[in-house]
Order: sequence, then C-alpha cells, then structure tokens
Amino acid sequence: MRTILKIALGAATMLTPAAALAQETVRLTLWHMEQPPHRVERIQELIDAFNAANPDIVVSQEPQNWGEVYAKAPAALAAGQGPDLLFAIPDFTPILKDIGALTSVADFVEELDGKHDFIDTAVEAYSYDGGVWAVPLYNMAMNLWYRKSVLEEAGVEVPQTWEEWRAAAEALSRDGVSGMGLPANKQLYTDQTVYSVMVNGGATEIYNEDGTLRFDNPETVAAYEFYTNLHQFSPADSASWTWGEAEACFSAQSCAMVMQFSVISTYDTQAEGDAEDLGVAAIPSKDGEDHNTISYANAVMLLSSDEARMEASKKFVSFLLEPENYGRFLNMEPGLFMPVTADGAQAESFWSDPMVEKYREQIETVIENSQNGRLFGFTSGLTFPSIAAISAQNIIAETLQSIVVNGQPAAEAVAAGQARMEEVAR
Amino acid sequence: MRRSLSLNALLGASLAFFTALIGLPFWWVVSGSIKLPQEIISRLPTMFPQSFTPQHYQKLFQASDYPVYLINSLIVATSTTLVTLVLAIPAAYAFFRLTFPARGVLYRSILLAYAFPSIVVLIPLFGLFAKVGLVDRLPSLIIVNVAFALPFSIWMLRSFLAGVPKEIEEAAVIDGASTLKILRRIMIPLIAPGIAAVGIYAFVTAWTEYVFASVLILSDAKRTLPVGFSGIIGQYQIDWGLLLAGATVAIVPVVALFALIGRGFVSGLTEGAVK
Amino acid sequence: MQQSKALAFALVAPALLFLGATLGWPLVQAIQLSLQDVRVIGSPGSFVGLDNYARILSGPAFWNATGLSIVWVVANAIVQTILALVAAIILNEKFPGVRIARSWIILTWIVPTVVVVVIWRWLFSTSGGMINPLLIQMGILERPVGFFATPWTAMATLVFINSWRWFPFIALMMLAGLTRIPDDLYEAARLDGANAWMRFCRITWPLLAPTLGVLAVIGTLLSFNVFDIIWLLTSGGPAGGSRTLPVLIYETAFKGYRLSEAATISVMTTIFLMAFAVIATRALDRTDR
Repeated sequence: MRTILKIALGAATMLTPAAALAQETVRLTLWHMEQPPHRVERIQELIDAFNAANPDIVVSQEPQNWGEVYAKAPAALAAGQGPDLLFAIPDFTPILKDIGALTSVADFVEELDGKHDFIDTAVEAYSYDGGVWAVPLYNMAMNLWYRKSVLEEAGVEVPQTWEEWRAAAEALSRDGVSGMGLPANKQLYTDQTVYSVMVNGGATEIYNEDGTLRFDNPETVAAYEFYTNLHQFSPADSASWTWGEAEACFSAQSCAMVMQFSVISTYDTQAEGDAEDLGVAAIPSKDGEDHNTISYANAVMLLSSDEARMEASKKFVSFLLEPENYGRFLNMEPGLFMPVTADGAQAESFWSDPMVEKYREQIETVIENSQNGRLFGFTSGLTFPSIAAISAQNIIAETLQSIVVNGQPAAEAVAAGQARMEEVAR
Repeated sequence: MRRSLSLNALLGASLAFFTALIGLPFWWVVSGSIKLPQEIISRLPTMFPQSFTPQHYQKLFQASDYPVYLINSLIVATSTTLVTLVLAIPAAYAFFRLTFPARGVLYRSILLAYAFPSIVVLIPLFGLFAKVGLVDRLPSLIIVNVAFALPFSIWMLRSFLAGVPKEIEEAAVIDGASTLKILRRIMIPLIAPGIAAVGIYAFVTAWTEYVFASVLILSDAKRTLPVGFSGIIGQYQIDWGLLLAGATVAIVPVVALFALIGRGFVSGLTEGAVK
Repeated sequence: MQQSKALAFALVAPALLFLGATLGWPLVQAIQLSLQDVRVIGSPGSFVGLDNYARILSGPAFWNATGLSIVWVVANAIVQTILALVAAIILNEKFPGVRIARSWIILTWIVPTVVVVVIWRWLFSTSGGMINPLLIQMGILERPVGFFATPWTAMATLVFINSWRWFPFIALMMLAGLTRIPDDLYEAARLDGANAWMRFCRITWPLLAPTLGVLAVIGTLLSFNVFDIIWLLTSGGPAGGSRTLPVLIYETAFKGYRLSEAATISVMTTIFLMAFAVIATRALDRTDR
C-alpha cells in the first residue's frame, strides 16, 4: 500500500507545475532507528500531518539500522549527504559533536521546556561542554517483568532485595523454565541490564568528577558478582541474547522473569495478552530501598547547517512535542516509549491509545520507575567524550562476559574492564 | 554403471542426509511463516504447522516496502551480471587464448583482488562515491558488486575457453577472420554455457551482498532486499513470524529464477566445456 | 602479431582499469590512512608515520584475531571440502532425480546472507528453535544448549553455518572437475578389479587435485573475508571468541572510532593474504607442470 501511495505521490509531484510550488519549499530528511514497519507507519502519519499543515516544508523519513548508523552517519555527513534530523541516544551524540556536526540547541530546549516541562534527567544526558546538543524526545527505562499467576503458583513474592531476587529466580526455575532471563551478550542490552544492577548496588558513577574512571570499585565488583550469580538461572543461549530473545523467552513462558524496557506489545500479540496477569516492578535493589534503573532519554539532533532548514527542523520537533501529537508519536510502540515532558505524561493522545488503555496499570508503573533513571557516563552533569567509545564497544557487557563465559573472578574482570575503558579513552 | 547393494545403500543414506541438511531449514522457515505466533515460539516446536494464518504476510506487505526492495535488488543484480560479462569475456579470452607480455603477472594480480578484506575498501569507496555523487544511488552498488564478482568470473571462464580446440580458431584465422570476429562469432557461442554460469555467479553475488548495500544506500526507496529485510528484524523485539514471512519472500524470487535457468548453471559448469 | 598484442591489451584493459579504480585505489587510500591518526570518518588527521603499526603489532588484539582467522579458514576448508566432495561424488552418480538434485543443491547459496543468518539464529535459539528439541529427541543432548554461548561452540556453529552456505557451490565446481574424468578410466579400473575406494584413490583424487588446488586458494581467500555472517550472528563474541580479522577491522573503525588503526590492520592483513596467494599460486603452477 505504501508503495502505491509513494508512486502516486511521486506522479502527483511531477505533474504539479513547478511554478505552483512555493519558491522557498524547505526539504528535510529525518533519520531514525525505529525500523519496525508499524513504527515507520506511525511516524509517516505524523509527518503527513505536519507537511499538510506546513505547505512550505516537506519532511521525509529514512529509517536506519542501529547496527550501521554509527558508521553511516559520520560518513554521510562528511559526504554532505547527512540528514537534517537524526534520532539519538546519549552516547551517540558526542561522536557527532566531536566532528563538529552539531551546534548547541540550548535556547530551543529552554523554550520547549517552558512550554512542556522536560524531565530534568532527559535534558542532562545531552547537556555538557557548555551546550545542549539534542532535544529529548522519549524515555526508555528498564523494569522487571513477570506473570502474576506464575509467581503466585510458586509462592513467590515480587522481589525487593537482591537476596529475594535470587531466591525467587531459584524457586521459579523448574520444569525447563528459566527463573530469570538475563543476557550475557557483548551487546547494548547487556550493558543496560548490568548497569541496572549496578545502579541498584551503589555503583552509579563510572567517572570521577575529574574525568578519571572509577569503574573499578567494590560496589561494581559486588554488582557483577550478584549478576553472575543470578545468571545461572538464565537459558543456555543467553550469552547471545539481544532484547528480542529475552522478550521471546518471556512470551513463550520459558522465562519466568525478564529485565526489559517493555514486553507489552509482544506479550499482547504473541503471548496470551492477559493484561490482568502481566506484572511489572522496579528492579530490586541491594538492600530493598531506593530502586533505580537505567533510563535512556532518546533525543533528536538537529544537523542542518543553513538557517532556513534549521528553523524548519525546529518547527517539526515542536510539532512532535505538542501534546495532541506527542501521545501518538510515543505510541508508535505502546508501552516502550515514555514521555519526557510533564504535559506529555498527561496527554489525552497518549492515554487514549487502546493498547495503553488496556495496560494502563503497567504503563503507570513504568513511568514511575523511569523517574529514577540513570545512564552510565551521564550521571554527574559532567560528560566525558570517551563514554561514546566505552558504550559503543560495550565494555560493561564485555566485562560480564569475562566472568560468565571465561570464568574470570569478578574483581579481576572489573579491573581489566577499567583498563579497557582507559585504553579506549586514550 | 552398476553399483553394488551396499554402495546403493550408502548412496541412499548420503542423499537423505544432504536432503535433510539443505531442505529442512527451508521447510522450517516456510512452514513457520504460516504458523500463529504462539506456535512459532512454543517450547515444543512442531514439524508440521498446527495452525494457519496469513497475518505475517499481510503485515509484511502492508507495512513495508518489500516490492520496492525486490525491484531494486533485481535492477542491481541484473546490471551487475551484464557489466561483469561485458568486462569478463574479453579479458578471459585475452588471458587464456592470446599471448601478450606480462600476461601471467596481470592474471595473477586480478586474482589478488580477493587477497584483501573487502571492508578495507568500504570507507575509501564511500569517499570516492561521495565525490562523484554516487552515494545513495544504485549504480554505486553495481560497481561494487562487479568488482567482487569479476575476478572469479574471469577465472571460471578459463576452463571453458581451454575446452575450445585450437583448430577451430586456426581455421578461422586462415579464413581471414579478425580476432574480434573470432571472439564474437566462434568463441562466445561455443562457451555459452560457461557464460550462463558466470552470469548466475555474478547475479547471486549481487543478490546476496549486504554490508556495502547497508552503508552506501541511505534512503529507504533505494534499499535492496537484504537490507530491507534486516530492517524488519528490529532492535527491541523480534517478530519471528514477520521475519520468517520476509525470509520466505526473499527466497522465492531467486528460487523462481533458478527454476527457470538453474539447469543452465549446473550444466554450464559441468557439461559446458566442449567435449 | 604486433597488432594482436595491442588488441589483447585492449581486451584486458577495461577489466583491469575497473578493478584498479574500485579496489586498487581504495587500497592506496587505506595505506595513506594507516599512516595518520584519524578517528572518526570525516575528521582530519595528522601524519604519524608507523606508530599505528608499532602499536598494533605489539598488542594482543591483532594476534588473537589472526589466530582466530586461521582457525576459521582451516575449519571451513575442512568441513566444506568434505561435504562438497561427498556431495559432488554423489551427484556424479546416476540415480533417479539426479538432475533435480544437481540444480537444487545450490539453494543455500542463492539465499541472501542476512536471510541465512536469521534462519539459523532462529533454529539455534532456545525459544522456538528446532535444533535443540531435535537433538534432545535424538538423544544427543540432555537439555537445551546455547550454541553461541561459549567461544568454541560459537566458532563451530559459525563454521557450520558458513559451510552450509558455501559447500553446495564448491560441490558443483568439483562436479565440473569430476565430469571431465572420462568414464572409460573407471571401467578399465573396474575390469582390473579395483574396488570403489581404490578407484577413488587412483583416479578420482589425482585427476581432481588440480581443480581442488585452485578452489582451495580462492576458497581460502573468500572465506577469510567472510564478515557479515559472523558480525550479524555473534558480533565477534562471546568473549571475543569469533573476532576474526575482518570483524576486528570493522569493530576498530566503527565501534572504537579508530579509523587509522583499522586501516593499519587492513593493510597488514592484505600483506599476509597476498603473500599467501602468491606462494599458493606458485605452488599450484609447479604441480600443474
């Protein structure tokens, strides 16, 4: 259907006499990494609405793959073929900033903040070196997902402390079911789950204030030890997991609990989809107090070099953050993308989505959990450029693999991890 | 040829082994693509579908530009085939039927094209294509694929050319035919099966290429099938049903093509050289 | 004759120029890059001489990857040669359906690599995958195994998948060699009372050897350069257990943002491979004579 529309649109554009087009039509290209077809479709709906309301601006989207965009974006920008708008996670931004592709959008973010009231941590993840380098768009935070009936049957309470968590995982591991699905892949997902355990064990900071690394500390080692301990209740292939396998494991009831941003849409479409039975909780902390999590404030970077396009880009971003559009934008994947603005969290357009209505209880918990979100390397208000390479090379996950796969003692692996971080920070 | 009973049994067993090795994965994929999601990920997989649903295919065609990717892939693969043949046939003819200085060195240097990791050229080529405005355009992929297919194509033609008896060529020379005429009128028809084989090799090289297509192409409307397919894999969720449907659709066109000309490929390889 | 020399050059020139522009020239660029300190594509760098070479040759990453690459190539060569040889010998026999078998054996090779990757990732997974239950049913395994979970099983699984993709193609190249062996030779041997094994050793193997030799050289180079299957399935893991040289190059350039170091590894890899190719083709030429 989209194909036919595209061809029809193309034909229509060609038929329109050139003179009839406004002289100063601004064409914008948006790159994002939300490739699943239904997300692309939702973004297209919003783009169409924007284009219709702004006849002098034509936005078009080009979905990209996270796997390649790290290579592709700098190359395309160097070749003068880069996008005007590019979605980002915090550790992607320093790379483009370092090659001089970004200018600070501090004023624009302040203006939007006045209007919509951003969650502070979302802006902080992009604020350093005297500027704000991207506009926050949506939040993602890790949670613990389970089935209420399964926990009940095993006589297990929702775990609050690490000790309870381990006991629950053990109790739930039976009849071929894995108690706790945890990844041990050298991949971003593992970075996220390991860090989620770290922030719940007092190992939030990986940098000292002067930019030296403090990854190698007793709290980090304890977090790794606990993670490794818990990992024995994971399926055999978890060393190659990405997000999708964890969700599939949960959907298939092969995993009793998983740590994930959201399992709602897979649970609804591929598993039983019983909203009553789906449980979500904050990630257990070492002592049961103050539950933290990892949170990813996704944002959009504005890359145009000329004034007119920059203005048009800002117009488009403002459009997306308007409450009546923002909810539709977030619900491109219901239950996964959480609002980063105060008025977005209230927006009718967000809560009226059928899937959101169905899983309202869970989504409210997720939003609540995301308030305590942290992101490694972006916790102290000071950001050091080496975090880009540390994240890109998944050194946190690599350290876990040394323990889980190679059987290295945690203390040794963490020390080696810090050495690796120092090496890539060079 | 008569075979002893035990040899026959061995042959049968090996055949069954290879049929399973090659056929089973495809059967699982194709049959999986019509199963309900719950059945696909169930802990006890089923050999034959217990459920039927067209939902994965509906989703695939509704929401993604599969037909566009398919057309792009066909354009790239067909053009790659043609360009490869145009470059390979004359070169192979010169290498294997004519004598000229530095022939051995040049021939070897062509095979050395495989002696470096192809990723090496990715970044410089991106820069080169950017300069001439070929980034995000299909010709850039055609150029890359020809470069990868050409050396082996030239080598493949070697045995076919070697199979043409010298006398045929000598007779033509006596008749006063020029070298080019010999190539066009005599050689090409005689090595037609070899040309078919090389053509398919080039086609498949281009059809399956992923890394360069994923980096050199920026916009969705110009993606090839492998890259478009990787787009539906998704980052945070795996929709196995959609993936299996996508895989099936990615397999079908080559299978159809191969059903038409596949025999030519194999007989080209095996019986082609003039006996 | 002079004119025909010029003509011969004219015939090879387009192919040579094409390869020079698309592969040769970028290689020169890579050498240039390896002498600088560029990090991200598009950012400027300054000349640092052979610093990158010194650093990389003294660190473990390059040598580990070289070792793994050698393991990868050798394992692939063994698995593929055995599978392909058996398949080729079968396809050279006459039996009902041999024509169909000859055409369709190639199925695994004409499917895009990304699709191959997804197929096997699914089949090997513990949720929904077919391999684990199958092996448990056959009594080979007791409980599900993570095929990509330990370095050596990951490597073995990757070798299996890559071989699965390539062995039919190689089988057909071998079949081409086999069909050129005249049937009379086998008949004569049979009359002399040679059994199947002896016929293989005395006729098939020696006559197939030249084809195998060239295939071995090209196959080695081709499988050395395999990147997408490894990258898409394991990203070089777990714990670096499948980080071959092409993976290391990609990782260094695009994950570590050390473009110049990636170029340095590329250049050294190229030197190794060229040395191998030159020596191997020399050796082949000698046996040809």
